[in-house]
Amino acid sequence: MSKAKAGLLQGTLDMLILKALALGPLHGYGIGQRIAQISGDELKIEEGSLYPGLYRLERRGWIESEWDVSENNQRAKFYKLTRAGRKQLIIEEQNWERLASATMKALRAN
Amino acid sequence: MSRVKATVDFIHTWQHPDEIADEVESELRFHVQMRTRANIEAGMTPEAAQLSAEQSFGDFNRVKDSCCEIKRGFPFDLKHIRMGLYIVIACIAGGVALVAINLPHHSPFSVLWQLVAIAVLLRSFLVGRRKQ
Repeated sequence: MSKAKAGLLQGTLDMLILKALALGPLHGYGIGQRIAQISGDELKIEEGSLYPGLYRLERRGWIESEWDVSENNQRAKFYKLTRAGRKQLIIEEQNWERLASATMKALRAN
Repeated sequence: MSRVKATVDFIHTWQHPDEIADEVESELRFHVQMRTRANIEAGMTPEAAQLSAEQSFGDFNRVKDSCCEIKRGFPFDLKHIRMGLYIVIACIAGGVALVAINLPHHSPFSVLWQLVAIAVLLRSFLVGRRKQ
């Protein structure tokens, strides 16, 4: 990938949030950090856009939240994956792999 | 989120809109503070760190409003509720039909009830098929 950071495709943010939370509970800021970390700092996310995504996922029952104390003793809202969210992540990963492989096949066609 | 929790949350959100807005704001402020702290640790001045954190966050009020709107949103899919309603109506119509069958058959009243029940059941069936 080029030096310019890639913008996110529509619908990818939800999958990345689920993936970040599959590794353990996090607050919103931590989720952004983890996405940057697992993508090798290649994906560019406007930090504020994470939150409507988090609220939507919580509404769908894929994640749940509770207030707790953060690593620097501040009150923070932590999110964790639910069982339904774990199942959804598997579905999203399979869909993504299928889409990516179909796109690659199309691009390599002569 | 379970259906019960979603319903409780939905009612709570409408009963205490200010509380929800404050909660969302606290969460977003925490994010900006964390980013500011990280920027300072990376060598920025506190003012530059704060400014950069706010810029990388985006439009704070827009994000806050979006989150509050999602919180206030109806927690269930309306098409499921509509379908549930049709099922309830179909059950009532079925009950009415059963009662009507037990009425004396020569009564015009029983015939009328049976026709109404058949019409409602048929309508529910057709709507149910269309939704699938």
